[in-house]
Amino acid sequence: MNPSPGEPPYEPVAPPASPDPARPPAPPGAVAAPPMYRAAEAFAPGDGLHWSPISGLHTLHRLLTALLWALPVGAVGGFLVWRNNGGAPGLVVWVLIVVVVVALAGIVAELDRRSYGYVERADDLVVMHGVFVKRLIVVPYGRMQFVDVTAGLLERWMRIATVRMHTAAAATDATIPGLPAAEAGLLRDRLAQKGEARSMGL
Amino acid sequence: MSGPYGPPYGRPPGDSGPPDPYGRPQSAQGPPQGPQGPYGPQGPGPHGPPPGAPGPYGPPGPYGRPGPYGQPGPYGQPGPQGQPGPYGPPRPPYGPPGPPYGQPYPPYGYPPPGYRPPVRFSEGTHRLHWATAPLRAFTILIVYFVLLGFPLLLTQTSDGIRLELTPAVVGRFLAVTVPMGLIAVGSGLWAWRGLRFRIEDDDLVVETGLLRKRKRRIPLSRIQAIDVVRPLVTRVFALAEVRVELAGGEQSEIALRYLGRHPAQDLRAELLARAAGLPGHTPEAPERHLWRVPFGALFGSLLLRLPVLGAGLLFLASLIFLAAYAEGGMLAVAVPVLLGLIRAVIAPLVMYANFTVAMSPDGIRLRYGLLETRMQTLPPGRVQAVRIVEPAIWRTFGWARIEVTVAGYAGERQALSSTLLPVAPRQVAMHLVSQVFPGTHVDAVPLLPASAKGVSIDRADGAGTDDVVFVSRHGWPCRRTDVIAHARAQSVRLTTNPFQRLLGLATVHVDAPPGPVQVAATDRDLGEARAIVESTARRSEAARRASGDPSRWAAR
Repeated sequence: MNPSPGEPPYEPVAPPASPDPARPPAPPGAVAAPPMYRAAEAFAPGDGLHWSPISGLHTLHRLLTALLWALPVGAVGGFLVWRNNGGAPGLVVWVLIVVVVVALAGIVAELDRRSYGYVERADDLVVMHGVFVKRLIVVPYGRMQFVDVTAGLLERWMRIATVRMHTAAAATDATIPGLPAAEAGLLRDRLAQKGEARSMGL
Repeated sequence: MSGPYGPPYGRPPGDSGPPDPYGRPQSAQGPPQGPQGPYGPQGPGPHGPPPGAPGPYGPPGPYGRPGPYGQPGPYGQPGPQGQPGPYGPPRPPYGPPGPPYGQPYPPYGYPPPGYRPPVRFSEGTHRLHWATAPLRAFTILIVYFVLLGFPLLLTQTSDGIRLELTPAVVGRFLAVTVPMGLIAVGSGLWAWRGLRFRIEDDDLVVETGLLRKRKRRIPLSRIQAIDVVRPLVTRVFALAEVRVELAGGEQSEIALRYLGRHPAQDLRAELLARAAGLPGHTPEAPERHLWRVPFGALFGSLLLRLPVLGAGLLFLASLIFLAAYAEGGMLAVAVPVLLGLIRAVIAPLVMYANFTVAMSPDGIRLRYGLLETRMQTLPPGRVQAVRIVEPAIWRTFGWARIEVTVAGYAGERQALSSTLLPVAPRQVAMHLVSQVFPGTHVDAVPLLPASAKGVSIDRADGAGTDDVVFVSRHGWPCRRTDVIAHARAQSVRLTTNPFQRLLGLATVHVDAPPGPVQVAATDRDLGEARAIVESTARRSEAARRASGDPSRWAAR
């Protein structure tokens, strides 16, 4: 009996993980009878885990960034409004608009901070965030190409950092901003370690 | 259902059959395999003497132990680890001293007519073909002549620009052309001498530059695809370009332009064999022809699409208007439409003419092209995701097109190399997909319809999964079925925009590397969507564990 024909050269036919082939694979939840989720639980971490929050400095950082943008924009815009015979009332209106925009940015930043959460599970990292579009991203450790920690000038001064996980898919946007710098370093090391243990190439 | 394609492919739809991905020929009932014969256990087949027995052409050669073709082939299941492979000890199969075979031709008993000894790329350092230098010099000179040389020959006189070959003009022309010629020849020589490559252990090492040297070392296990491209000009000289695609974006391909046509094939075979974990000098893997797209079917399929038909009608209408009312303004409609039609019909026609698909143990081999011929090889496990496209009119004929995402083809090359099959009967297309993702059949995966609450023109039909693949289908006039193997999924995302959240819906994305295929199950109920996310994450974890690293696919 020739053992080789018919053997797939690179992948076993079906992983022996499936317990009984008789059951139709239909509802798309199945390998080990996953728990059913109610609509309210769609963005819950599950398994009795809790979302790890990010630092409150994230809001401050976003607010400061908005302010740093608002100052030159407000000054130049105000100057233009004043010169183009807007006068003092025009200037006041302009300044009010800028202040409102900055305040809105601050509110969105705070909401964003509250929406952020991440959980390190056994096989993957889950990141949840989003104010308008809510996102839940599951990145298996074995799929990570690399993890980087970045911190801009402002972030360095506030001692926070951003951890980003890269996979081969560009759509994977697993970014955790506003982590205290020490925690970010630890998280990166943990992720890198787990990724190395399970690395699978592409 | 024969249709314009002749008899349909032999395998009935829905029957994934025995899993024979990359179709190792079943040596028992398989068709005659050509001069090479199957790689299975054949004993004294067409490959000369039975192992060990002294052949008619002298000693049996370096394969003292079980002969190279007497045992399960190198592409099959290997023996237990540690035991010498079917090719004897894996490391240097031919000791450096002494002639490898004793005789200059292979152990087939007699040299076949037109036999040429393969170039051994595993040994020594290699260069490009010498004709690279004159070809490059020639190209530079042509560009120079068109842009600068020819205008130099012209003289402006009182009655316009004329071609007058007075000594002064010729002298002026030569004064510029001779240095340019020298520069062109020098640049050609530089390009030819300046690139060296060799295979070292498990790496391909490419060194460039003469003065300032640059060395690139590419692990063969990272190769995503190998293309042998023969542009029109190089076909005259029997040259070919070898492109090695790596996962890593725009800059990560290695292009060796140009090698001889046959050495290019040898290099391709050598790289694939080494990447598969086989020793060097493994002969090129046999292949099994799967499908050839007839020219008429390709042309018909390109025409019979709604946008193309619409544009054609628009073109005719504008021509009629143009003729009837002599309205020159209609040209502003006709010309762009005509250009669009050329782009949509003629360009793919020239590009995908003579499209042939063949399966071999080292991957799917595609050959196509009218002016520029390409031979693409996708090693097993390198296809990340697949999209089956069925435009409205095609469905009445039962045709389908397959697009693939291969990590490595980035940017412009993505668009060029993302077609696995330009058009074929649906059974053939599905058979090919089941070869790409062994162990499943896409049509057999039950699709759960999307929530009826979803509102979009490009309707989501449904999504489903089994242990191997995740499938989602969408689109009304042009139906697209996106398939990704769980083992290839990079990450799973759940997103809901404000509108969806109002309806209690969400979208599940299963991310593949950048490419034409984006797999997403849109408009699922929130709770169901989360369940899909969890189950997909679990399944891909299990599939990754089971499949392991896709490199060295033959040695596992």
